[in-house]
Amino acid sequence: MSRKQLEMHHTGPAVPAVLYPHRHGRVYAILGLLVLLGVMVAFATTVGSVQIPLSTTSSILLSKLPFVNMNPTWTSALETIILEIRLPRVILAGLVGAALAIAGATYQGLFRNPLADPYLIGVAQGAALGAVVGFILPIDWQWLGLGTVPLFAFVGALLSVAVVYTVARVGKVMPVTTLILAGVALGALLSSIVSFLIITSEEQLHGIMFWLMGSFSLTQWSEIKFVLPYVVVGVGVLLVYARSLNIMQLGEEQAQQLGINVEKLKLILLTAATLVTAAAVSFVGIIGFVGIIIPHAVRLIWGPDYRFLLPLSVLVGAIFLILTDIVARTVLAPSEVPIGVITAFCGAPFFLYLLRRRTKVLF
Amino acid sequence: MVKLEMQGITLAYGDKKVVEDITFQVMPGEMVGLVGPNGSGKSTIIKALSRVVTPYSGTVLINGRDISRIPRRELSLLISVIPQIPLLPSAFTAFEIVLMGRNPHLGLFQYEGPRDMDIAWQAMEQTSTQCLAERRISELSGGEIQCVVIARALTQETQAILLDEPTANLDISRQIEILDLVKGLCRKDKLTVVAALHDLNLAAHYCDRLLLINRGRVHAKGTPIEVINAQNLEQVYGHGSYVYTHPLSGLPAVLPRVDSSRNSSLNK
Repeated sequence: MSRKQLEMHHTGPAVPAVLYPHRHGRVYAILGLLVLLGVMVAFATTVGSVQIPLSTTSSILLSKLPFVNMNPTWTSALETIILEIRLPRVILAGLVGAALAIAGATYQGLFRNPLADPYLIGVAQGAALGAVVGFILPIDWQWLGLGTVPLFAFVGALLSVAVVYTVARVGKVMPVTTLILAGVALGALLSSIVSFLIITSEEQLHGIMFWLMGSFSLTQWSEIKFVLPYVVVGVGVLLVYARSLNIMQLGEEQAQQLGINVEKLKLILLTAATLVTAAAVSFVGIIGFVGIIIPHAVRLIWGPDYRFLLPLSVLVGAIFLILTDIVARTVLAPSEVPIGVITAFCGAPFFLYLLRRRTKVLF
Repeated sequence: MVKLEMQGITLAYGDKKVVEDITFQVMPGEMVGLVGPNGSGKSTIIKALSRVVTPYSGTVLINGRDISRIPRRELSLLISVIPQIPLLPSAFTAFEIVLMGRNPHLGLFQYEGPRDMDIAWQAMEQTSTQCLAERRISELSGGEIQCVVIARALTQETQAILLDEPTANLDISRQIEILDLVKGLCRKDKLTVVAALHDLNLAAHYCDRLLLINRGRVHAKGTPIEVINAQNLEQVYGHGSYVYTHPLSGLPAVLPRVDSSRNSSLNK
């Protein structure tokens, strides 16, 4: 089609508005969810064994924002509870939820497989093995403010993905089917080693099991300082490549013909999603369900366009995990339930309801 | 204006050579058809022209430049491809798919603007797919999907279009409508067109030149009149066809050879 033709066309009938009102709806959804996330953070820091009114919590939180000056009307003990105990935990829950949801959405898009989750290519099993080794080894390192367990978990996750990637790579090409199969096979191998180590380590059993099911207890700011850069950079990279992920849904051949350097894109997306996931699981353990279901829930409500699916998944994932963490620490208070138990228990009924209500194609 | 050239191209899947030593060139404003039996290598040639498969030996040139040195995005601004049996994600709408044709024109941080929307909408008008715009791919028929993909290729605004069996899923009037459109663009805007076609009658009618491919080699090339004759078809396709001159166009046309002896043996 030539320029000339197009200029002639400009006087012709315009594109009907009905073809892009969704876009506005999704932008409003992003703004609405951002507000909801803020409210959720304030609410989550209010809930706990010490009763603190929501107004006090909000004031304490607001007073810490830049450009806000407030005279404290609260005790410093309250401030410590809110800022040093509850807030880091809430923020880490939000970060991990965001990380797992966007990584899950990315893997689903990259592999064009609705069953993909952030753990598909060996991240979880690698992290689990690293963590278990960290529990068992009679050493207590500190490196960059990281304890032995998260450090080993993080390294284990990256190593296992590196192995999977190396195995699956043929020359310059990396077929995604081979990648999935290599991930599943290596994952099985690592899991069996983890199981073996668990049954031979009686005294660490409780700690290991709790880690494997995920928990946010005893979160400190230092952990957030470690996780935040990975999540921010990773999420940023994934958001930049969201349109390419749309084109990838056409298959690799058509994606190439539409100008995508497929192998480079796969490498970028895999690296970003793996780093985000590895950073998320290294402190809190393997939290299931979030990474696979949140992207699908977002798809059911707002459609398949990754340019909205990814940011919306980030927000919904963060809100969801903050919410389930509230349940995890209150339902059996003062003791805690591993959050991995709660995510599926709370999330699955809602997802089944969405699935039943919607009739359009999901993937 | 794009000039496409294949020089001594040999293509292989593993060690199995599927195309051997193909050389041809296509000029701007020219429509060249690839014809030949199933498995003769037509689709593979199309894939090599769009650099989806890498040649075993030989080079593909676009305006004299080696295609393997052109970055993907730049290449997709020059050549668009309409694949055989296009695979499309079922949850997207037809309009979203057509709009994907703008991908190579957009920067990393850019969204489709009103102009991109207009181009896509215009392409859907040309392919009579505007009525499908809001429908999801899962609700469309094979022929409708084919037309949506053609609209996407037009939205890509390239100077060369490669078509791999563009009419395979279409009814007879749609076949003519689509090929008329492509041929019109080829003539008017000097588009370079290469089409792999099964239907010899359509190939003879629409293409300026034909390459008859058999078992990965060029069996004959030239104008439709030079290529489609009884001798060539018998050598390539066997005894199944009958060539005559189309009463309206004067071009060669092909019918299935149905003689009475064969009929009676089938009816037994």
